[in-house]
Amino acid sequence: MALPAIFIVGVLFVYPFFLSLMNSFKVKDGWGWDHYKTVFELYTGDLLYTVWISVASLAILLVFGILLGGYLRFRHNGWIEFLFKIPLFIPFVVVGHAMRVLLAPNGTLNASLAALGVIDLQNPPSIAFSSAGIITALAWKNLSLALLLLMGAFRSIDQNFIDAARNIGANYLRILFTVMVPMAKGSIAVSAVLIFTSMMGSFSIPMMLGTTEGSQMAMVDLYYQIVYQNNYGAANAIGVISYLISMGAAMYYLRTVTKR
Amino acid sequence: MSAVMWRLSGRVIGYGLALFVILGPISSLLLWSIAEKWYWPHLFPQQIGPMYWKKVLEGDMMDALLLSFGIALVVTLLTLLLTVPLSYYLARFEMPFKALIMLLFLLPQAFPQLPVFSNTMVLLYKWDLVGTVPGVILIHLVGALVYAVWILVSVFKSIPVSYEEASINLGASKMRTFFTVTLPLSIPGLIASALMVFLYSLDEFTGTLLIGSPFITTMPIYMYNSAMGYEMQVASITALLLMIPGLLLLFLLERYMKSEYLAAFGRA
Repeated sequence: MALPAIFIVGVLFVYPFFLSLMNSFKVKDGWGWDHYKTVFELYTGDLLYTVWISVASLAILLVFGILLGGYLRFRHNGWIEFLFKIPLFIPFVVVGHAMRVLLAPNGTLNASLAALGVIDLQNPPSIAFSSAGIITALAWKNLSLALLLLMGAFRSIDQNFIDAARNIGANYLRILFTVMVPMAKGSIAVSAVLIFTSMMGSFSIPMMLGTTEGSQMAMVDLYYQIVYQNNYGAANAIGVISYLISMGAAMYYLRTVTKR
Repeated sequence: MSAVMWRLSGRVIGYGLALFVILGPISSLLLWSIAEKWYWPHLFPQQIGPMYWKKVLEGDMMDALLLSFGIALVVTLLTLLLTVPLSYYLARFEMPFKALIMLLFLLPQAFPQLPVFSNTMVLLYKWDLVGTVPGVILIHLVGALVYAVWILVSVFKSIPVSYEEASINLGASKMRTFFTVTLPLSIPGLIASALMVFLYSLDEFTGTLLIGSPFITTMPIYMYNSAMGYEMQVASITALLLMIPGLLLLFLLERYMKSEYLAAFGRA
């Protein structure tokens, strides 16, 4: 009874994973780096763009998660905790659509801001269909995960350390950044790697919120290579590069953890 | 202002900001779903009513809804059937290649799905499964099995071995011990993982788009297509319907179950 599960994951994930490695080197008459050359010629900018979008969203999430997670460690608030768990249970495509509705040039946010007299509707700013739209959507979708992971990390810190710091007169922010964050460094690094990998591989949100011209996220390029160009070699090369970037993040995490 | 007033207004601003951040995007969907006429740049729709809700609930969206629930049900049953014995073995016994098996179930969590699934698609083409319901069920199973194994291994590990040993000492067979001691104790965890697998399958997009298109339209695909076609009302209504199961599950988990299972979820 145990074998079918292993068989399914093996045949439908692990085997195709190795196929993608192999096919990225397969050219007409043998093996070579041709697909990688093509990808670096066409998509170097897009690959850097993907990393930057992921890093930007991650930075927002870490700042937010550390501040709110720290607050909730000092003062338990079940209601806020519940509220920030909601994004975890909302599908990616729904987040994509909701952000389009909210952030488009003629979206709800601009209409509300115009009603308040903050912006001029003759020339409305567009957050959706831009990098800011993708960053907002990715950060929003991952709010819960970041908060859950960071709260877990902060909860495992012994209360005595916090009390000691408070007794000698440190305020909340100081305790958070000089006691709690350094003590939870390892867990924060794990969370960061987890979130970075999932953002880098995200597909539906960049599809829905990206621009038609300009840079694209790597997964969008990959999808277009398959669907419109039917170029599986180049698509697989993009895939392998995305594995390497995820692995790079994981290695960095392992190094920082083992160094301590 | 006194210190109390400062603190009170700080708290009101905090709650207001939290509500806006989380509910802002969702409330825009609600507005669009009842907007029969909405001319830019008005803040609220000119004419509201249930017209589009009626249209969507009587239209082909229902086919997508039923299909999605059907697929999710089959995926959940198959997943439980396949992962309960495996997870129990992994949690309790030493078995050959155990580390390798655990690694196998870690890979799909650690790497982006799209590049792998595009190669799975090539395989499924060869077996004539692209564009069919069984193909979509198979691709959902990959992610579902991985979630379920990670949750169930921790569920079985949380049940003390001593209970099983006591039962075996009293003369019960291993089978009997599993079905009368271990399984009943693990029911809350089993329900939690079943619900999460169900939700995973209901929300799955990437694999369904690759393997299912253009013939299999589940709810997320239907929503995506209508959003990309700028059918704002239809997409918003479908999006709202698609949110309900997740919110119900969140409520159930908060109310009745341990939240530790949550951390495994949310990466798709």
